[in-house]
Amino acid sequence: MSTYLPPLVIDVRVKEEGSRGFRIWLPIFLLWPLLFVLLALALIGTLVADLVLLLGGARYHHYTLLVLRSLGLLAAARGTHVRANNHGSRVNVDIY
Amino acid sequence: MNEDRKRILGMLAEGKITADEADMLLDSIGADTDPAQPVPTPPPSADWPTGPSASGTPKFMYVKVDSVNNDKVDVKVPLALLRTGLKLTSLIPPQAMEQINTSMSDAGMSFDLNNIKPEDIEDIIQSLREMEVNVNAANGDTIRVFCA
Repeated sequence: MSTYLPPLVIDVRVKEEGSRGFRIWLPIFLLWPLLFVLLALALIGTLVADLVLLLGGARYHHYTLLVLRSLGLLAAARGTHVRANNHGSRVNVDIY
Repeated sequence: MNEDRKRILGMLAEGKITADEADMLLDSIGADTDPAQPVPTPPPSADWPTGPSASGTPKFMYVKVDSVNNDKVDVKVPLALLRTGLKLTSLIPPQAMEQINTSMSDAGMSFDLNNIKPEDIEDIIQSLREMEVNVNAANGDTIRVFCA
């Protein structure tokens, strides 16, 4: 199930030389309810489309799988980390 | 001045140790650093591997860029992203896939994504363990790409 679990948090930390810097902690999980509603609507649409295509004899009828795999792609971004240092300035991006 | 440093200098003054020994001892306690200056913390990527793993399935792809100007970029990308992306390509509608292949061909990358079969993905990921890209620029900048 965790294969389809979208990122929970995106943590962005910016620190410039000589300044305190700032940190943005984006709680993506708060958007999950909205995402799941949109996903449910999309899945209903794609299921109907796939069924119609299948009954019509079309070779391609995988829109539902395409939507699910796209969600999987979003979920797979968890664990991405970027660290950049430039003349004492620092930017860190973490996707959890 | 901290106690260790005082003691070492005291021993040197008393002639109990030589200047070389005192230097070595000061080095070992890190006494060269100015106590007023904060101790530099290692970058958060310090615990990342420095090279490809010798065994097992790699989990992440690492891109490390170091410049002579002390600029540094470290990127850690989960290979699950690659795995999922490759699996997704097998589900792209044929018309869209044709367009993608044409665009890639125009950009100089003439390979058909349809040739990547889902059953080959694990082999591709596994073989990435042996992949290592090292670029050493003339100006001293280095780029390393590996999976571990």
